[in-house]
Amino acid sequence: MVELVIFALMGAVALAGAIGVVRARNPVYGAMGLMATLFALAVFYVVHLAHFVAVVQVIVYAGAVITLFLFVIMFVGVDRAEDLTEKLPVQRPVALIVLVGVVVLAGALVVTGRFDWVIASGEPPVVRGTIEEIGENLISVGPPSDRQASRWLLPFEATSLLLIVAAVGAIALAFYRPRRKDESPADPDPGPGS
Amino acid sequence: MTGVSYLAVAPEIILTAGAVVVLMVDVFARPSSRVHGWLVSATYALVAIAIGFQWRRVDLDGPGVSFGGTLLLNHLSVTVRAILLVATVLGTAAAWRMLVGLRRRAAEGIALIMVATVGFMLMGASADLVMTFVALEVGSIALYVLAGIMRSSPAGDEAAMKYFLLGAFASAIFIYGGALVYAATGSTDVNEIAARLSGVHVTRPAVLLIGVGLIVVGLGFKVTAAPFHSWAPDVYQGAPSGVVGFMAAVAKIGGFAALINILTGGFERYSGAWGDGLALIAAASVTLGTLLAIQQSDVRRMLAYSGVAHAGFILTGLAAGLVGISGVMFYVATYSVMVVGAFAAVTAVSGQANTGSSFEEYRGLARRSPVVAAVLATLMIAMSGMPLTTGFIGKFQVFTSAWEGGYEWLVITGLLASVAAFFFYLRLVVVMYFRGDEGAETTLVVARSIRWVLVVAAGASVALGIFPGPLLDLLNGVGV
Repeated sequence: MVELVIFALMGAVALAGAIGVVRARNPVYGAMGLMATLFALAVFYVVHLAHFVAVVQVIVYAGAVITLFLFVIMFVGVDRAEDLTEKLPVQRPVALIVLVGVVVLAGALVVTGRFDWVIASGEPPVVRGTIEEIGENLISVGPPSDRQASRWLLPFEATSLLLIVAAVGAIALAFYRPRRKDESPADPDPGPGS
Repeated sequence: MTGVSYLAVAPEIILTAGAVVVLMVDVFARPSSRVHGWLVSATYALVAIAIGFQWRRVDLDGPGVSFGGTLLLNHLSVTVRAILLVATVLGTAAAWRMLVGLRRRAAEGIALIMVATVGFMLMGASADLVMTFVALEVGSIALYVLAGIMRSSPAGDEAAMKYFLLGAFASAIFIYGGALVYAATGSTDVNEIAARLSGVHVTRPAVLLIGVGLIVVGLGFKVTAAPFHSWAPDVYQGAPSGVVGFMAAVAKIGGFAALINILTGGFERYSGAWGDGLALIAAASVTLGTLLAIQQSDVRRMLAYSGVAHAGFILTGLAAGLVGISGVMFYVATYSVMVVGAFAAVTAVSGQANTGSSFEEYRGLARRSPVVAAVLATLMIAMSGMPLTTGFIGKFQVFTSAWEGGYEWLVITGLLASVAAFFFYLRLVVVMYFRGDEGAETTLVVARSIRWVLVVAAGASVALGIFPGPLLDLLNGVGV
């Protein structure tokens, strides 16, 4: 019963936030709406006893990502007038049709009871959810006989590569200086002071 | 061999180290482009040696998995790495003038190309949906940046932005599919999924099949299969042309390898369902790609739509399942070489930035630069699938396996599309050889690295078209 109440409340918050993101004319309100949605999702995770995911959700998404969004919005300028007139003639009706189709289809699946979730797994997967276990999963090599050990090692390392790509890419895009008109193309590197 | 195996990731480690060295040397020494060239060549040579050792290990010990089942070490994954290396070497050479032209940012450009290759190599060897996703992102993000790295034209910025936004959308679709598969099977490990599915009869596989479908859609975007291709023409047109060939090649190689690994590795039981799905996408791709390519007046856009059609031909071979894999790998390998070569020729004629590359610019090219015209003509003829070129052998392979797999209607669609495709490929040849005498005095100056790419690409497309035996024999063992 308590869960149902929490679900209804937080579901309403999440939906309201999501609508706010789309409808808000001021981008700051939009970012705030997104934050409300992300918080509501974090509460869902707590209800499902996934505390770690909930904490990560709040810190990374509701915290860091939204802060970044706000930075960008402030940087670009909040009060700059945006042209919000519709330029896409067919998208809106098509989106409506697709929406109705999805709702009808989902409703039909639920009503006819053809929408089973867990269907093929023999036994439920073992959840190793404490912080220590998650850390061990990510970076421990473990004995070769243990199939589960070192399972997440490579994706974890590849994620660090992802961060390198992001940093290098940001540098590559940001360090561009437009060439001056009077500068000939064959001009050697003028150095940082030019 | 389920634990940590350094040999299984040796090419990736070397490439990553090479990228880091290029970046660090740039910080301390500000090297000339010659030093960069040596560093890059040494890295690629070491990667080639590592791939050789991997092939030998698989020959001796048979296929295996490492890192707890995350990474495959079999003939297919080693072949994918080898094809990626070839595409990367050619792509780096084709883009070299552009990279050097970036001056202070040259090291970043080189590092991005290397890391993109690492991402797609991992993707081609991955046997875990999480690993595939991370690898996909590593490769894709590097490509998004490369698309906009010149920063000198709004078209390049637009291409990068479009590629990034639509690519992120496709990645989200892929990971949603992965989540649904996990919900249905309780595992993200492809082999584990296959093991769990083999023991039971799934009465209501809706969640599982929707998950697989979304994975196919996400990867279909990366390989520019219709109807998920809408980004390709704009990106191919706006991105620096030296990089476009590389982008088109590596994304296709990695994407198709991941499709093979996931679909045949994990969902062999549902091969009928995903085979039909792939056949539909293939038919849409060959038809749409060919029809839209006919209408283009810009060579880059024409090549983009022809890439959509080629994705369809490759999917035609894949729809038949395991029997088609060696043919698919042959097609992917030869198409990669052709597309890198074709965009190198575009670079030679129209320059790096998007200054437009309409058919007009190619009028009378045969008189201004006989070599470039001959190479481009050869590549167009090879892409159209004329006999005595790799394009013919590749098409023959995928059509044969699709026919054996029971997709006769798809083969007929593909054949009709191939015939229609002659129109736009040969139109470029006609424009180059039989149109326009103006500008006959001016000769086209082509950079040495690009000349090298052109000769290798055209030579390989003809040589392997006449003597495909050795490569086909090599690839024959790959599918198992």
